[in-house]
Amino acid sequence: MSEARPGFAGTGRAVAGVAAPVGAPLVQHAPRWIRLLGRRRATLVGLALVAVALVVGLLAPVLAGDPLRIDVARRLTAPGSAHWFGTDDVGRDVWSRVVYGARLSLVVGTAVVVMSFAIGLGCGLTAGYYRRLDNIVMRVMDGLMAFPAIILAIALMASLGPSVLNVIVAIGIVYAPRVARIVRGSVLVIRETAYVEAARALGASDAVIVARHVLPNCLSPVIVQGSFVFAAAVLTEAALSFLGVGVPPYVPSWGNILAEGRLYLQQAPWLVLYPGAAIMLTIFGLNLLGDGLRDLLDPRLRGIAAERTS
Amino acid sequence: MKTYIARRLLALVPVALVVATVGFTLMHLAPGDPASIIAGPDASGEDVARLSRQLGLDAPFHVQLLRWYGRLATGDLGQSIFLRRPVLEAIVDRVEPTLLLTLYAMLVAVAVGVPSGVLSARHHDTATDQALMTLALVGISIPNFLLGLLLILAFSVWLGWFPVAGYSPLEYGWLLTLRSLTLPAFALGLVQSALIARIARSAMLDVLREQFIVAGRAKGLAERAVVYKHALKNAMIPTVTVIGISFAILISGAVVVETVFNIPGLGRLIISAVLRRDYPVIQGVVLCIAGVYMLVNLAVDLSYILFDPRVRYQ
Repeated sequence: MSEARPGFAGTGRAVAGVAAPVGAPLVQHAPRWIRLLGRRRATLVGLALVAVALVVGLLAPVLAGDPLRIDVARRLTAPGSAHWFGTDDVGRDVWSRVVYGARLSLVVGTAVVVMSFAIGLGCGLTAGYYRRLDNIVMRVMDGLMAFPAIILAIALMASLGPSVLNVIVAIGIVYAPRVARIVRGSVLVIRETAYVEAARALGASDAVIVARHVLPNCLSPVIVQGSFVFAAAVLTEAALSFLGVGVPPYVPSWGNILAEGRLYLQQAPWLVLYPGAAIMLTIFGLNLLGDGLRDLLDPRLRGIAAERTS
Repeated sequence: MKTYIARRLLALVPVALVVATVGFTLMHLAPGDPASIIAGPDASGEDVARLSRQLGLDAPFHVQLLRWYGRLATGDLGQSIFLRRPVLEAIVDRVEPTLLLTLYAMLVAVAVGVPSGVLSARHHDTATDQALMTLALVGISIPNFLLGLLLILAFSVWLGWFPVAGYSPLEYGWLLTLRSLTLPAFALGLVQSALIARIARSAMLDVLREQFIVAGRAKGLAERAVVYKHALKNAMIPTVTVIGISFAILISGAVVVETVFNIPGLGRLIISAVLRRDYPVIQGVVLCIAGVYMLVNLAVDLSYILFDPRVRYQ
């Protein structure tokens, strides 16, 4: 496949080439970038939305009751003081399910980011640094990326079976090659720089060069991808669960609530509206945050960012 | 140029091999061996062993893999366990709605996305621009199946303008088909139009900074002519790329949206196959979609030659 590919479906990172030139090490700039991040209103809104989702997810046991308690006598009750978001078709409290759904989304999103970054960084660094392995590793990645994300995720779930862990593994496998490709692109640039040559001349081993010099310098484009991978993971989990091939139906997940809501659209639109709003706000926040991070950390676009803030 | 096309086609071979291998592995990743799944839970151990021999499942892994490549090369995707018919036949039966939905959604995505992007770029940094781009970001943040549910709620349940769900095949008249696919196509297309709008806008902004635009304005061309004639043409190159990629994204999106609207396409086929553990069908649909995806990507790359005479390949 060609080099010009979007990061992945549905995110803002589009035609831009993957082989991004690389900025100064992130660590040195930390205070400045955090300051800059707060300067744009849109990014702050994104940060706030993500923070709300985080707090709701973390405090789920405090904020909500038992998301699994069935009360058939009160099935499909409209939102009111007893049930803020109403009840579902077996009388479970929708507010509790949406709150615990946030928790599941955060767990899935975080775990997928960790997993796809671990695999992606490993493969990307190997492929970029050791040219002999490049062809093999990247062909496998290309092959995996030849499947549309959701299709590969569905197929993997078919083989793995429905569970939260399997959803994480499936989505992680889907997004790892996308991270690997970005990392490899950066490594190809970095390995030709003078400081890598200098390190080698000083007798540093490959392991030291990769860990101390290459890795820190290819992190910024990867961090930019972080919030987009997180968003994609949350969306994919919701889609898989909605289709009935994700987490088991009793687990409170936004996709599961929407799947039930589809059957009761007429009688109980709140089954769709509340989890729908939760998904939208969370993804909207992650996208705003991701755009802000990209403008700051992706030097290729820094000019545009400066223009926008001025 | 011919050698370039030949080289690109050749480069597809290793990717296709990996894709075929992944398809094969998926089946063998599943818990339990395929023979006992096909034979069903009531089959005796003897029956399972016989079936396993029949299907060649007793051969060593690499022999099975080579046979699998051979079968794929002849277009044999195997037999469905549940439907008791060739997988390829089942897929061909379900292609119509998925393909029509994808094309319709594509139309919506381009018709909404490109003009909004151009409008946004033309009124750069004004309220119009900000409103459109905020809307686009909201669009990117709504999953297509959720938008589908919201559209059903608004236009079918509350207003009653469209059927709640279902599909009317072409043989009953294309107008009915169009009506049954309108809400799904908007659910799928509007989300994608947001992405197209963002790309069209930034492509347009890049072009509008170019020297020849300044020259055009300097010689007194009307702003309309500058924007729509000179700038738009050049901004189309990155936009066309995204449109091409959108097609591939839309096909896989159609698989999800079909469930919302109960459309009997490839999406329903693969989801019901997952629920029935009908692995040959899952494998077949996945491989077909991956194949289309690869070809579309190739077509997009080759289309640069047509759209941009400056691009020359050896």
